[in-house]
Amino acid sequence: MEFSEHILTPKIEETRLEGPDISPVFGTTCLTGHHLIFYSHNKENKEYWILHRNVDSVEKRYSLDKNVLVLKCKDFKHYFLSIVKQEEANNVCNSIEILSNQTKSSYQYPFFFRPKFSIPEDGYDLFSVEKEFQSVSSKSDQWRLSNINITFDVCTSYPSQIIVPASITDQEIRKSAKFRHGGRFPVISYLHQNGRAIMRCGQPLTGNNNKRCKEDERLVNCVLGSNHRGYILDTRTLQSAQQARAKGGGFESEYNYPQWRKVHNSLQKCAVQQESFVRIVEACLDQSSSSEKWQSKLESSSWLSHVRDVLAAACLAAQCIDREGASLLVHGSDGMDSTLQVTSLAQVILDPDCRTIRGFLSLIDKEWIQAGHPFMDRCFHSVFSNQRIRSEGPSFTIFLDCVFQLLMQFPCSFEFSVQLLCELQNHAYASQFGTFLFNNEMERRNHKLRTKTISLWSYLLSEEALPTLINPVYQSKEGVIWPSVAPQSMHFWDALFLPKLDTSTTIRAFVNETLSEIGQLQNELLDLKQEVGNLEKLAADADGVNDVEE
Amino acid sequence: MDGSEKSTAESPAQDQEGMVESSMIETPHSDGVPVVPGEQILVAVLKDVTYLCHFFGAIAGKMIVTNYKLYFYNESDKDRDVTIEVPLCTITRVEKVGGANTASRAAEGKNPYGLKVFCKDLRVLSFVMRQENRQRRTLYEKLQEQCFPLSNKLQFFAFSFKEDFGDDGAGWSVYNSKAEYQRQGLPAEGWRLTKANFKYELCDTYPQLLAVPSPATDDDLKQVAQFRSRGRIPVLSWIHPESQASITRCAQPLCGISSKRSRDDERYVHLILEANPHAHKLLIFDARPQANAVANVARGGGYEKSEAYTTSELIFCDIHNIHVMRESLRKLQDTCLTAHPIDDKHWLSNLEQSQWLLHIKTILAAATKITHHVETAKASVLVHCSDGWDRTAQLTSLSMIMLDSYYRTLEGFEVLIEKEWLSFGHKFAQRLGHGDKNHSDSERSPVFLQFMDAVWQIMQQFPAAFEFNEFFLILILDHLYSCMFGTFLCNCDRERKKEELKKRTRSLWSLVHSHKEDYLNALYASAYSNHIILPAAAIRHLEFWTTYYGRWNPLMKMQEPVQQRHKQLLGIRDVLKKKVEELQAQLAEKQQKDRNSTLKAKPAES
Repeated sequence: MEFSEHILTPKIEETRLEGPDISPVFGTTCLTGHHLIFYSHNKENKEYWILHRNVDSVEKRYSLDKNVLVLKCKDFKHYFLSIVKQEEANNVCNSIEILSNQTKSSYQYPFFFRPKFSIPEDGYDLFSVEKEFQSVSSKSDQWRLSNINITFDVCTSYPSQIIVPASITDQEIRKSAKFRHGGRFPVISYLHQNGRAIMRCGQPLTGNNNKRCKEDERLVNCVLGSNHRGYILDTRTLQSAQQARAKGGGFESEYNYPQWRKVHNSLQKCAVQQESFVRIVEACLDQSSSSEKWQSKLESSSWLSHVRDVLAAACLAAQCIDREGASLLVHGSDGMDSTLQVTSLAQVILDPDCRTIRGFLSLIDKEWIQAGHPFMDRCFHSVFSNQRIRSEGPSFTIFLDCVFQLLMQFPCSFEFSVQLLCELQNHAYASQFGTFLFNNEMERRNHKLRTKTISLWSYLLSEEALPTLINPVYQSKEGVIWPSVAPQSMHFWDALFLPKLDTSTTIRAFVNETLSEIGQLQNELLDLKQEVGNLEKLAADADGVNDVEE
Repeated sequence: MDGSEKSTAESPAQDQEGMVESSMIETPHSDGVPVVPGEQILVAVLKDVTYLCHFFGAIAGKMIVTNYKLYFYNESDKDRDVTIEVPLCTITRVEKVGGANTASRAAEGKNPYGLKVFCKDLRVLSFVMRQENRQRRTLYEKLQEQCFPLSNKLQFFAFSFKEDFGDDGAGWSVYNSKAEYQRQGLPAEGWRLTKANFKYELCDTYPQLLAVPSPATDDDLKQVAQFRSRGRIPVLSWIHPESQASITRCAQPLCGISSKRSRDDERYVHLILEANPHAHKLLIFDARPQANAVANVARGGGYEKSEAYTTSELIFCDIHNIHVMRESLRKLQDTCLTAHPIDDKHWLSNLEQSQWLLHIKTILAAATKITHHVETAKASVLVHCSDGWDRTAQLTSLSMIMLDSYYRTLEGFEVLIEKEWLSFGHKFAQRLGHGDKNHSDSERSPVFLQFMDAVWQIMQQFPAAFEFNEFFLILILDHLYSCMFGTFLCNCDRERKKEELKKRTRSLWSLVHSHKEDYLNALYASAYSNHIILPAAAIRHLEFWTTYYGRWNPLMKMQEPVQQRHKQLLGIRDVLKKKVEELQAQLAEKQQKDRNSTLKAKPAES
């Protein structure tokens, strides 16, 4: 394999590994193209596999008597690998650095991964635009399915098939796409029960000359119908929207879009959020004596205030739809980050379906993966990398944290538990599954992702994983949930940021036990239900036999 | 997960709800105000009272005062149903605001004329009323009189409360010291039960029955009592069923500046060690910061010096005294009641400044350390602070919760409070200031509240380890102040006996048992029994108990009644269990019948 050229020392004896879930143990370290494998020499001969892609950075801590490599992983775990010879340590470090930063797409691990669990259904089929179109057309006949982007030439970051207003021609859409950042013309994101829609797009390219595009105006207006008004939610402040004009971007003027009222929000850019992400993880890792200043550190990381801002914007969006009965258009600058945070969260708030496991995974498919959130760029590095932040940003993590907040406030309204959110977060950054690979549908098509990799959904919905993801107190319920966005209502997401850092194994053992206890209770309920069913059937059969006899 | 599950899950639930409604106790109403048996109206309806809510602004309504509570309700607001119920004993202070001379300013709404009511449960309520008929004066005087029965030589409401819980006062027999000692396997080798304190002569703040090392005679105990603050000698709180490692509690030794020693005490402490075959060192946990322990020497107190207690090791736990804790709660209250929480960007650092969670952490850390030593190192542990009734009770009871799953059941937790707190003389009356108008009394302190907060923190980390839910804790805290029940009245066992509380008042546990299903945790897993649990005691693992402290703040309030869901789940389980049993019985019967009929059929065939 081509990887071998990067692996200078494939096997090293007498190494020592220590990690949050591994008490120090001696063993042999082996490097493969995708993993560091550690064979421990203790009684159980346990193997530890660390995916190269999961390693965010490697730090060398050499001293006279030992050479330690600190593998800082994207799930915030740190592993300490001691190697006797410095040369070998250098080799391992170099190999991991190269292999974990592998950008060549066909080298990615999901293309090599073969699952050990049985797949009852292909996760790639969970969401499809056809199904989505069916659901939309059951509520309204004003939409059609267009193949306009079949060759990805109208918009490289949109999927090939798109639901568009029935009264707008493909020609008009092409014109509108030219007027929008990245060709991201307004598309429907969600249709509420009351017939109001959430649409999303990129910023209009008005520039300094206040350019306009009649087709775009027509496209946007046709969701309103005749007598309705709508809201345009710009995730940027008015000031930064105005500044964007100098670079060719801009915002819809009230003059050209008279039926729309504009609302500005102040969601931060990726880079700012990334910085805050780094700071909160730093605070969590800091086990020094000053950890008593925990709350002020948490506060100064600003993480929770970013989460709160996004949640507040989503509530505003949901209010426009549900309370005001108005349709809504959401965009920021390129419509791939804060826009998606707002539109997807608004749906979790508005639509009980999105609070089921399948519904939630479909939502992520629709609003993040298909909508062209550039996972590859945003999640290439996590918080430990020394390399300069280019396009990294925790947009998706913040979205998940917002869902976590909703789950905390509405513990009975979600079919899934916090565990699912943690899984999604970790797989978005490093995974054996293909789901979060690449930046958009076009790239995924080109690499035949659907046929060559396994979907994360297949795993999450498998018999093995599903029971651990269920919320035991879930109760399916109709209607909108209105969260509180007060700072006091924001919870720190400890399950994601903390427990893996904890060195006390007893605690973790019990946490795991807790989860299994919850499962057990549930199984008890299920078993009982089944037992009743069986007995009822038996009783019915017995009755039947008796009847015949009589 | 699928449709069939949902439909079966819902139908029993509905049955359940129906059952609950019909079994609800009818409460007699008086002018639309619910009253309990024994409750009488003292100040009849005051109309045109306005409640100034921190969050929703002015709400117009009516007010009434009974011998138990102050009650405010609005009648005609379509949007909101506001009722405010404050048990009078929960009120710590009543203030008049806006005098007659400022009537002109009052008209502008700047200095409204009315009353401000400060409550022990962190509420501060402002009421505005009309300036006529001496309305306010009547109300103010009545409140001043009724809120502070102790200061006014009146009786607590607990003595008038006549609810019949239909259990013949069984709540009072939840805790029986002898039975609890027996449950722990006492008397055992090395430990005996003694009635040396039967007349409270050995120590007037201890219970009558004590567990002490077997070799120590009752005369020895008297000698030891001389050397321990307030006669609070080391006695057994808990013993490990297998290793015989023990948790004992006491007050500080009376060393004083002259570094006095007591051979009897030293020998006695050594006997505690000897009762544990596994240990060669007794760990003495002094709950105080070292500096405080040293400062106590000047006041005649002190700590066990290694020269005198050669087989012991002294560990200081750094838990601050009642005054520091009181101040911390005051700051926390300020933080919770900020008028404009939406703009409160500094919520977290304000919370930190109150240091409330830091104190909880210190307490939890010490308790986990004790647990660790007892369980893992099989060590025996002696816990004390200055008097051994505040911090000591926190540490022994928290470690016992971690070590012994019995205390994590509903009944076990009641026993734990009765035993470690009530019977061993935590001064509830003084620490809470029951019926005392001296609101700035420096003896008041939220020691018990801290304990409950720490329990809640453990529950957060082990959601399936407790049989009860957080609403049980909240109920206890509410009735800690309400004085509706005799449970938390008085300072010690002796006083309670003298007041004949068991005869003259109701026990809080009677109320709990009559609504038990409200306080059970649906996620409780009995597999946790016989397990110890060791919570993480770092601040980052601790949470702010919103459901309790934040419940008066509509922005912090719990959005969804998860309690109802728990009740429902437990209901579903019980219904299903019953169904399964019925069907199994039915099936067995049918099978028996079939067998009989085939038996009958066979000879006919042949």
